Amino acid sequence: MTWSGNEVRQQFPILQQKVNGKRLIYLDSAASAQKPQVVIDALSSVYSTNYANIHRGIYRLAEETTRQYEAARAKIAKFINAASTDEVIFVRNATEGLNLVVYSWGRSNVGAGDRIIVTELEHHSNLVPWQWLAQEQDAELAFIPITDAGELDLAALPPLLADGHAKVLALSMMSNVLGTIPDLAEIIHLAHAAGVVVVLDGAQAVPHLPVDVQALDADFMAFSGHKLGGPGIGALWGRRELLEAMPPFLFGGDMILSVRKDRSTWSELPYKFEAGTPAIAEAIAFGAAIDFLTELGMENVRQHERRLVTYALAELSAVPGLHLLGPAPEKHGGAVSFWLEGIHPHDVAAILDEEGICVRAGQHCAAPLHRRFGIPASTRASYYVYNFNEDTDALVVGLHKVIKLLRR
Amino acid sequence: MSNLYREELLEHYHDPLNYGVIENAEVDIDRDNPTCGDTIHLTARLDEDDRIAEMKFEGQGCVVSMAAASLLTAEVVGKSPEEIAALGLHDIEELLGGMRLSMGRVKCALLALTALQQGLEEAGR
Repeated sequence: MTWSGNEVRQQFPILQQKVNGKRLIYLDSAASAQKPQVVIDALSSVYSTNYANIHRGIYRLAEETTRQYEAARAKIAKFINAASTDEVIFVRNATEGLNLVVYSWGRSNVGAGDRIIVTELEHHSNLVPWQWLAQEQDAELAFIPITDAGELDLAALPPLLADGHAKVLALSMMSNVLGTIPDLAEIIHLAHAAGVVVVLDGAQAVPHLPVDVQALDADFMAFSGHKLGGPGIGALWGRRELLEAMPPFLFGGDMILSVRKDRSTWSELPYKFEAGTPAIAEAIAFGAAIDFLTELGMENVRQHERRLVTYALAELSAVPGLHLLGPAPEKHGGAVSFWLEGIHPHDVAAILDEEGICVRAGQHCAAPLHRRFGIPASTRASYYVYNFNEDTDALVVGLHKVIKLLRR
Repeated sequence: MSNLYREELLEHYHDPLNYGVIENAEVDIDRDNPTCGDTIHLTARLDEDDRIAEMKFEGQGCVVSMAAASLLTAEVVGKSPEEIAALGLHDIEELLGGMRLSMGRVKCALLALTALQQGLEEAGR
């Protein structure tokens, strides 16, 4: 598949519709991505030909469903280059993956006086669970600040690592607001040299960049299937020795080896962390989304988005009174946020909606980040494989309409 | 263009009624809408029967929240705390010209009203 002649775009049925007689322009993929036909077909195929509960049935239908479910796990493991398929755990979304790490690893490994390090650009999902852990365990929560250019101020990291109190560093691989792609290799190197475990929020990065957890030398990484074209599901990857030492997060069926009245033992990885019937069809369709991206090639996806974002940053910066947030294109992923002088982002989004343009307005689950920049909220246009420069052109025309209507 | 952005509401947005602060008012409250960053500082003076004599507001927000606050400052004069407590979304939609607001805008529309209701409660009225 190539990007020429809208071939990629044609794979997404939802984008073929009109809104108010206009082409639907979807610029909110950082919130959730649209689904290619192969994913929709995979979901439908499970339910129409091949559905039963997994890991239980002796009959062939259940065996085939189990095989497809585990095949999806293997695709995901390969996609992020996990050392083993057993290191991939299906969860509801990246948020649940991060909560799993906090509840299970965090409560066993972070104690009073220990330091938890996060950054100022985190999504609430990778901040609030750590806040809770810090309060619960009487630990310290420290922040790597961000610069005015929207990049992590890494000069702040070595002092936080120097006294030996730091236990964990949790950070986003790509900001959902600023689009910032931090220098992970450098950060992880510093953290590991200080014996600090690194938890990555991959919700924005995994759909948009080639990710290799072994090359990164990370410890945990949570991400969402629905942000890369799959259904509402996510995955947590963790280093085997860490996962094996952790207690379960949720208890119930499928995660136990033996149960007595007064005690139980746990299944091996990854089942220890998958209590109850999982989202079976969603997992299989997650695998189909991974196939779709693998065929496109993640390096191609990154280059496509880099071209889109380079164009968008240039075009948007010419809109009067528009202020862009975030770094230059080479360090900028698919999320482009901005604010317009004197105009509330809600009004921007509502008026763009009349033009068939979907953007996000608000704080994008990153309130501390907005406070850092001294703005109440922002508007975000976020790009994915199905977008093209014409979407930015339409956005700019729409923004001029907003200004004409609301600016005096 | 939807009737949200029709001229009459834009007038209230650009040039709101009763914009400002009443000093030493019985009702004096700050509220914000954390999901969108809207803020309001609302003050109201009561008459001898505890009815609203005057209400003013200051704040930052979208057309819906600011126009609703502006219209509300005129609407509530002469109303008792009980009458204010009985107001709801439907009344604000009527004030805004009888539109039905989408789910995403309900909190914006209600910002000033809920601030006033809470402010009266905090003032023991």
